[in-house]
Amino acid sequence: MPVTPLLALLATLAPPYQIDSVRFRFTQYDQRGVGYQSAAGPVGQPGSEWETVQQPQAEVVAHVGERITERLWVPIDVITAASPDHSVYGLPVGTAPPDAVTTASRINTAGSFDTLTTYRWDRATELSFRAAFHIEEPFESWSYGLGATRAFAEDNTVVGVSVNQVVDWFDHFNLDGTRNGRVNRSTTNVNATLTQVLSPYTIAVLSYGGTVQVGTLGNTWSSVLLSDGSRGEERLPRERLRNALSLRVAEWLPWNGAVKLYYRAYLDDWSAYAHTLEANLVQRLFRGLHVRAEYRVHWQTAVRFYTEGGEPLAPGYRTADSDLARFVAQTMGGAISWDFELGGRVRDVHVDLGYERYFRSNNLTVDIATCGFGLMF
Amino acid sequence: MREGRPGATRRRLVSLMRLAGILAALSAASGCVVVPQNRRKHLADPMMRFDDDGLEAHKRQKFYTTREAAAGGDGLPAGGGCGCQ
Repeated sequence: MPVTPLLALLATLAPPYQIDSVRFRFTQYDQRGVGYQSAAGPVGQPGSEWETVQQPQAEVVAHVGERITERLWVPIDVITAASPDHSVYGLPVGTAPPDAVTTASRINTAGSFDTLTTYRWDRATELSFRAAFHIEEPFESWSYGLGATRAFAEDNTVVGVSVNQVVDWFDHFNLDGTRNGRVNRSTTNVNATLTQVLSPYTIAVLSYGGTVQVGTLGNTWSSVLLSDGSRGEERLPRERLRNALSLRVAEWLPWNGAVKLYYRAYLDDWSAYAHTLEANLVQRLFRGLHVRAEYRVHWQTAVRFYTEGGEPLAPGYRTADSDLARFVAQTMGGAISWDFELGGRVRDVHVDLGYERYFRSNNLTVDIATCGFGLMF
Repeated sequence: MREGRPGATRRRLVSLMRLAGILAALSAASGCVVVPQNRRKHLADPMMRFDDDGLEAHKRQKFYTTREAAAGGDGLPAGGGCGCQ
């Protein structure tokens, strides 16, 4: 069968394809601090958590015909010293190569290919399908998601539900650097969201998310500092049930500004619970030029098996990961953005520049600089 | 090592569910007031968006889920990618 006429016929029948926007963002993270899971330090002491991350991202949004919107998104992370010197247990930093088996400790490049298709079923109902693939050394991941939203009461109320499934495969390493085959984990996530217009100036979003994780839930190379000064392997449960409830409120301010408040409560069956508060203030200086200031504080308890000096022969679960410890984390930052009309084929141009500092009570600080650029058609 | 307290976790879960119920009831009660479309222009202002754009939202979500055990679990699946919990 001749292919060219068939393709020409399909092109004729296909609905019109129109690119709506193209966006780029580059973010640089500089992290400093120490944690007990890291062996990159003196014997019997927490090790370095130093790393830098460069994160370029690109996104294209297009619509196909009247009902379908397609989003294609490619984020990349280039991470230096992702797990510094994790094979050099008990030795001073710099006395041996950083990693016996993989190069992931020095530079780890991670990338995803993520698509989201949204179909407008009718004036009030939208359906969405998400598919994504993620790869990094030594890790691959597939994810799929289905979602639906329905508007009620003249669009004053929108109810949404979604379900997501992630499957990860990655190499298992022993603490001496030897590879021990492949392991996997599954993450299933269900969300329900209620968006409600409260007044001509106020809107609120209430969300619940439940997540079940099964499989190998650690990265397998985090170590635990033991009471005799040596290091042992991290041992985590193979299941985790997580619950998160959040409320967001946005209020328009009469001096051409907006304030957004966010509260989140979290609880899981590893006995970690947390409260997060966030405030975000946006002010329009003049047409298209905005400044934003934000503050976030996060209180978190440790998981029940967190330890900073485990018994060498004790059975049971244990971790020394500073991310699973009790801490208070704060983020302060700001950004400036400018949207201006260009006319012609490109309707609007967006540029922004931002800086944030994340610091927490268990000795971790991250400086984050970001810039974005977008074209709207 | 600190031992777990399943009873405390269950009590906190019940409290979380109770809070969700109260917030949902308050939100539903406020839904009795319908703001007509011609009075919602301020709500449509780009400043009122909760996330500036998808790339900014990803930056934030990835950052917190890789550094905080209690991040994630809402909106997007937690635990995918980057070998983190």
